[in-house]
Amino acid sequence: MQDYVMLMVSAALVNNVILARFLGLCSFMGVTTRVDTAIGMGLATTFVITVSSIFDWAVQIYLLEPFGLGYLRTVTFILIIAAAVQFTEMTVRKISPPLFQMLGIYLPLITTNCAVLGVALLVVEGKLGLIASVLFAFSSSLGYSLVMIIFAGLRERLALADVPRLFAGPPIGFITAGLLALAFMGFSGIGAR
Amino acid sequence: MDAPETIMIEGFAHVVAVNGAVAWLEPEVTTSCSSCASSLACGSPGIGTLANRVKARRFSLTNTEDFIVGERIIVGVRENTLVKASITVYALPLVTMLGAGIVAQWAAGRDGITLVASIVGLLLGFGIARLSANHLMARGNMNLSFIRRADEASCSK
Repeated sequence: MQDYVMLMVSAALVNNVILARFLGLCSFMGVTTRVDTAIGMGLATTFVITVSSIFDWAVQIYLLEPFGLGYLRTVTFILIIAAAVQFTEMTVRKISPPLFQMLGIYLPLITTNCAVLGVALLVVEGKLGLIASVLFAFSSSLGYSLVMIIFAGLRERLALADVPRLFAGPPIGFITAGLLALAFMGFSGIGAR
Repeated sequence: MDAPETIMIEGFAHVVAVNGAVAWLEPEVTTSCSSCASSLACGSPGIGTLANRVKARRFSLTNTEDFIVGERIIVGVRENTLVKASITVYALPLVTMLGAGIVAQWAAGRDGITLVASIVGLLLGFGIARLSANHLMARGNMNLSFIRRADEASCSK
């Protein structure tokens, strides 16, 4: 049990997808102008990463490893992620067309989000069991969402701040992201023995 | 004392058809995809073209403002609607999937059974999400509303 907790804390905070592994930076800068949109994107990405991690794990264990097809891993995982996004899109549309109209905008962005593929590759490289792999993927994506929401909150405040013209817009955003990454370095001691 | 103003998330939409009292609109795509330098070489348009996606997201609005085809308007939803919708569609199925997987692993301790239980949990979660979405719709929480014509907006951005 303690192992699972440490795995989750490590994936979400210590080795944060955005601030420690530098994955998903496009959506980190692009969809964080409002907290609500950041929550929407974060939840959508969490869903796709977690669901696709199950199928990535199954394909790796039952297909790629037994038949020595490890060199096809990246291509296969991209296919699984694209299929997971399409499946999610179709399901959301079926569940509720108005919700699809509202949330559908995030799904195409997730297909090309490198954080999704990055987590999938990390899951199989970890050589974990199914439930540990799923928890790792889930916590990684929770860490991604957490940073997105924190950064969106900071940017909402920055939009109201009197920033010098030279730093207005993306420059102050990048400086803030750097300070946030420094703050997250504080978690790096957790779990060290 | 004035009532607190409802904060809306706004977006641009084009009127594509007017059918009596109902106007059909398509959202304006302002994602990074539309302006990306690599859009021609990108694989994602092959999965579902941008035009297809926009068409799939076509929605209707009561034509109270005499909209004309081709007009650009601003529509909005309440700020917390997006969060509620995201939780309904994504968080509910995820929780049931993880719950079913953890219970199966604890009970059986075999990866194959955990895999099947997780998929069953996911499908169950989609069923619950559907009921929850219907409930939100019945309460009118998901309705889009007309804010103003785009020409009237001060386009400072």
